Amino acid sequence: MDLRRINRKLKKQFGGRVSAALQDGCVVVSGALERWTDVVAACQTAAKKYSRTHVVNDIVCAEAVDAPMRLPAVNDDALEGASPDVLIIGGGISGASIARELTRWKLDILLVEKEPDVAMQASGRNDGEVHPGVDLGKGSLKHKYIRRGNHMFDKVCEDLNVEFRRVGQYVCFQDGWLRPVVYLYCLWRKYHDGIEDTELIGGEELRRREPYLDPGTKFAISNPSTGVVCPYGLTIAYAENAVENGAKVSLNTAVLGMELQDSKIVSVCTNRGTVFPRLVINAAGVFSEEIAKMAGDRFFSIHPRRGTNSILDKKAGAYLHSVASVINVKTQLRAHTKGGGVMRTAHGNLLAGPDAVETFEKENTETRPESIRVVFDKQKKTLTALSERDIITYFTGVRAPTFEEDFIIEQGRRTKNLIHCAGIQSPGLTTAPAVALDVAGMAVGLLSKEQAPEPNPQFNPVRRGVPTLRKMSDGERGALIRENPDYGVIVCRCEEVSKGEILDALRAPICVPTVDGVKKRVRPGMGRCQGGFCSPLVTKIIADFLGVPVSDVRKSSAASVITYGQTKGGEGGSAR
Amino acid sequence: MNENTYDVIVIGGGPAGLAAAVSARDAGAGVLLIEREARLGGILKQCIHDGFGLLRFGEKLSGPEYAEREIDELRKRNIPAKTLTFVTKIEKERGRFRVHAVSRDGVAVYETAALVLATGCRERTAKQVFIHGTRPSGIFTAGTAQHFTNLLGELPAKKCVILGSGDIGLIMARRLTLEGAQVLGVYEAKPTPSGLTRNLHQCLYDYDIPLYLSHTVTRVFGADRLEGVEIAEVDENMRPVEGTGRRVDCDALILSVGLIPENELAEGLGVEIDPKTKGPVCDGQCMTSVDGVFSCGNALHVNDLADYVSENAAAAGKAAAEYRRIGRKPARLNASEEFLYLVPQRLDLNRSNAGTTVYFRSRCDYNNARLVLSVDGKEVFSKRYAFLRPPEMERLELNFDALGLTERSDVRFTLELQGGKERAQ
Repeated sequence: MDLRRINRKLKKQFGGRVSAALQDGCVVVSGALERWTDVVAACQTAAKKYSRTHVVNDIVCAEAVDAPMRLPAVNDDALEGASPDVLIIGGGISGASIARELTRWKLDILLVEKEPDVAMQASGRNDGEVHPGVDLGKGSLKHKYIRRGNHMFDKVCEDLNVEFRRVGQYVCFQDGWLRPVVYLYCLWRKYHDGIEDTELIGGEELRRREPYLDPGTKFAISNPSTGVVCPYGLTIAYAENAVENGAKVSLNTAVLGMELQDSKIVSVCTNRGTVFPRLVINAAGVFSEEIAKMAGDRFFSIHPRRGTNSILDKKAGAYLHSVASVINVKTQLRAHTKGGGVMRTAHGNLLAGPDAVETFEKENTETRPESIRVVFDKQKKTLTALSERDIITYFTGVRAPTFEEDFIIEQGRRTKNLIHCAGIQSPGLTTAPAVALDVAGMAVGLLSKEQAPEPNPQFNPVRRGVPTLRKMSDGERGALIRENPDYGVIVCRCEEVSKGEILDALRAPICVPTVDGVKKRVRPGMGRCQGGFCSPLVTKIIADFLGVPVSDVRKSSAASVITYGQTKGGEGGSAR
Repeated sequence: MNENTYDVIVIGGGPAGLAAAVSARDAGAGVLLIEREARLGGILKQCIHDGFGLLRFGEKLSGPEYAEREIDELRKRNIPAKTLTFVTKIEKERGRFRVHAVSRDGVAVYETAALVLATGCRERTAKQVFIHGTRPSGIFTAGTAQHFTNLLGELPAKKCVILGSGDIGLIMARRLTLEGAQVLGVYEAKPTPSGLTRNLHQCLYDYDIPLYLSHTVTRVFGADRLEGVEIAEVDENMRPVEGTGRRVDCDALILSVGLIPENELAEGLGVEIDPKTKGPVCDGQCMTSVDGVFSCGNALHVNDLADYVSENAAAAGKAAAEYRRIGRKPARLNASEEFLYLVPQRLDLNRSNAGTTVYFRSRCDYNNARLVLSVDGKEVFSKRYAFLRPPEMERLELNFDALGLTERSDVRFTLELQGGKERAQ
């Protein structure tokens, strides 16, 4: 770590307004800058990619005043006095998968998530690609976990009853002269990085496999081990299986503070009471730096990066079977993502995106027109048939990278009963199964210092899940309908979802009785009419299930009111 | 004959399906009607306003009353109707169709010689018109808001903005006002209203609800429930003009920004779709490009009035009942640029086209237009129109058999504009 060189560079870039210093094994960058983009640039100057010496951002930035973290409306003492062996903070793919792996032991596990459902932030707002493991530096944690994670997907998804398909990925090149260079690159990936199945294919072979890809494509890298999965579906499945095996998931639960004693977390204060865990796991995504700070263990910084994906009609899904992107040599080398691509999702829609934009706003998931424009301008070069007209919806997620652009998966550096699973960004979905095993192992190791946990003899890795009737043969479907006639009542015409499946989702181990909760689990409203036909029906089914008036049903959060009560008669008649 | 075998299967139990089933039965066919909802009537069930039936019944009815009359006709003829039954796929096999459908009773397969697709249309949504921002509750398509209000009796808005001046949007502006909600305004991206003139008067002007033309909603605000929308002026290409955006606080955004014919089943059968209507290309018998598959009502093209839907569907039902497999002899009906679309798109000269109804919409507002039908450059028919407006569908009955058409005939509809292109307010 050459601090002098960093400070020389910072001085050149920012004229002495910021400087870096080594403190407690971290590079702390401080000073004052007006623009957030400069803050990011300064910290990037100070950071070394994949280094374990992290940059901590202490720069004061007038522009970058983020809104306070959104808190759940509920305040009660549902968790007061709870003393779990492990408290997991964050219900994304990391927290959910760690919870499930920990249920292999006889442990009291509590997962808290501040949102009304799991997979509400980055884990529910990404493209669902299971990466093959290219373009990652050796020695990084991303690299360490990606091949293991990728290999685990078949088994994990089979156990958790989540659809997963290895559809392959094509990285397309339109400059024929690059072929020898890319050929050598492929060989290097193959033998050096152990990506056994990567190969170069010619334009003709590519068009035989994917006839709609741009005819100007001269050759492509083919990575057959690339897969697609529903990212929130997998997160929900992990969380449900954790609950089936004895873990507790508390939604609408935000961590507000911690009490420490002798470098140990003694208690964790939430809006639902104070919890006294033996061990805390920080899987808080964009807020993992805040959690680390609360725990007296802040040695890294997160710089949020937003990305927007567009979902296209399933009809456009016919244009592509795999994941594809086109490489532009000039712009590619500097970017922190491969610049998005097009793919057919696990559900059969075409997806385009994401872009990558630095932001100081951790929870701002508003979409903007320029994000879609950038992605479509670029991806029309991959897939000529790609058209904005086929878009049915779009969404923005915020990634949680560190300035070193690598994961942080380790025990607390100062705080003893803490494990960080932070800085998780792409390919965090792919690595999750492997990371969860390691973090669970780490946790068991730490707990064993006091008392070694026993294996959980009742652990069942298989999640039953909700049957998907539209994928069944007439015979199978008929048999299920005979058992439960509600399976024969189609509520969502676009995605062919039955009332029976909706009720199953409401009776699942984690019940999220909201329109969005049901939508994420069994898909009513995910289709081309975006709930135009079915949202009143789904609202009514939820109301009947809960035994409450329709106006008590929410879209998602407690304040996301759908209707205000009966127009005539009944209570709330004069709705104003 | 198997009990699950029919001459005609009608898919969809709205006004189109009901009329098609009745007329097919009257033409002697064994008919089955399949409806995915629990009750027949389609979207008419939630259209509790009046104005239906002036053409068909000579009186003003509400949507449910109109539907009831059509359902009565179905009942009188004992036409079987499977409700709460959803068609999952249709296979074509040796000129016959096997219709797979699920219901509470399980999965059934029905066989038929002719199919009438009366599947209606769906509404375009917020993101399909590129509205950006957050994802709060309180954003409804007009039809969804109507479902909540009229079928569930639930108030979906207190203070709302309506985007789009389509008919359902106008109807909902009045409806929500009557239920005590405040409608801040109807915003329309086009320079002219999209709804029927009568609805502009009866739903907006009578209630002092302002209509803002050449304006659109570009963005929504609110993390939980909608808190406001950004409204911007648009240029002649309907793109928002930078710097004109302003925020309007409201708790609901109701969208009436277009209807799209639902043709997923038709496309599954390989039916050719007209990019202009987004419905199947059809002939004078409402037969699509696939032999034995007929399309009618809003699935064929979006109509203004249920009365037209019924009329067109009755023709389709009759043609489906009379359908025999004979070769086709197609003649294209060409329409000039001044038409938004014209249906049917072609004629089958092997069948009678003596009393063919042609439906069309003009591309813009025109005053003093002359419609000319020519065959191989020779004018054979003309009609004057004092005004033509895209929201008002026009219909013409023509005797094409008298024109001595052949497959090579150049049959062309043009609009001659005396007054030039004019913008009406």
